[in-house]
Amino acid sequence: MIKKMSVVALACAALAGQVAHAETGKLALTGGVSSIDGAAGGGLTPWAVIGSNATAGEIGVTANVSRLSTQNYGLTTYGAALGYRERVEVSLAQQNFNAGPALALNGIAPFGVSPGQHVKMDIAGLKVHVAGDAILESDSLMPQVAVGVEYKRTHPGSIGSVLDFLGTRTSGTDLYVSATKLFLAQGVLVNATLRNTNANQNGLLGFGSAAPGRNSRSWQPEVSVALLLRPNLAIGAEYRRMPNNLEALGRAAGLGDALRADDWKDVFVAWAPSKNLSLTLAYVQLGRIVPGITDNRKQSGAYLSAQVAF
Amino acid sequence: MKKMIVALAFSMAAAAGAQTAPADPALFHVFGDKPGLVKLMDDFMLRLEADPRMAPHFKEANKQRVKEQLVDQFCQVTGGPCVYKGADMKSSHSNLEIGKRDFNGLVEVLQQSMDAQGIPFTAQNQLLAQLAHMHRDIITVK
Repeated sequence: MIKKMSVVALACAALAGQVAHAETGKLALTGGVSSIDGAAGGGLTPWAVIGSNATAGEIGVTANVSRLSTQNYGLTTYGAALGYRERVEVSLAQQNFNAGPALALNGIAPFGVSPGQHVKMDIAGLKVHVAGDAILESDSLMPQVAVGVEYKRTHPGSIGSVLDFLGTRTSGTDLYVSATKLFLAQGVLVNATLRNTNANQNGLLGFGSAAPGRNSRSWQPEVSVALLLRPNLAIGAEYRRMPNNLEALGRAAGLGDALRADDWKDVFVAWAPSKNLSLTLAYVQLGRIVPGITDNRKQSGAYLSAQVAF
Repeated sequence: MKKMIVALAFSMAAAAGAQTAPADPALFHVFGDKPGLVKLMDDFMLRLEADPRMAPHFKEANKQRVKEQLVDQFCQVTGGPCVYKGADMKSSHSNLEIGKRDFNGLVEVLQQSMDAQGIPFTAQNQLLAQLAHMHRDIITVK
């Protein structure tokens, strides 16, 4: 996986090298990197910053590819984002989730799940910067604040019968508010996001649940902390709380905690070798993802993401 | 636009007078006291002249005077024994076209210059934290 991604990263680097010096004026890494949902931020969570190198009065575009591989699953994401005047960000992403272990669900009921089934998800995001400046307001505690929406549509293929059985829908909308602050003298960036969602595993297992699972939306906190080591190098950690909508349904069906969901975490290093390219390497813990078909394993693994800015 | 960055430099210096400088001169010492700041500004000015984004604005500047003013300003905000007395920043920029990209561009060149002088990154950020909020008075094109 890493070898394959290195090739992609090198290709991106070569591409970025050919892009003329971007005529945009944002400081390196201050636009964050690309999150798996497409919005600018950390790897797992959106920040209040507007993506791309574009600053006030400018328009910029980024494209990204990422790969996460855990014990039983894999997730590949392609995305693009447009930043407009450090005010509005529009993002698109497609996730491709290798849900091969779902084949075992055929042993519980005749779901007709195909071997090697992938779940795809399309995400359209909109983020609006409503107040503050995360970087330059160095004499005040006021953070940069943004509100955002992510519309998600899941294409589960032959797993659709399972999602129907669970009473989950294949589309949903997350709403969030993010606050980002760079403590410049300390070189520490902090982000807090509050997300309103009913997504199961970010939407890869649909949205909501049949009773007695939780069908309603809930507020989930997400936190990122990053330490700037150089103008173009940062390390950090993230925590994203996940709703556990399906466990009660699984328990009622006599499956114990087979449908349990855990919170997501990661530690990362982000590096911008040039103004047009950033690479993020992370170790991610997703906790249990349908532990009933993965020997109750906690899912963790390496995440690599490359972003090119135009 | 011609005199924009010159004015910007001057007004950064002017703003220093309005800010409460740290009483602790530790940061001033990290920057090598006044001789260190003079060296930094000599390098900074050369880089500004060499930077395609910044150079046009400095073509007709009195570079020696700009450097002296910046030394005084940086000396003061790092806790050194200097006081900058000059025109206040806001009024000196009110009729100039300065965007956020210009402000960020100047910061980038300053970072390159501090790197070249071997100033540790943590000290660079402590200095920038004393300067960054001046964007409110310097940037005129929102």
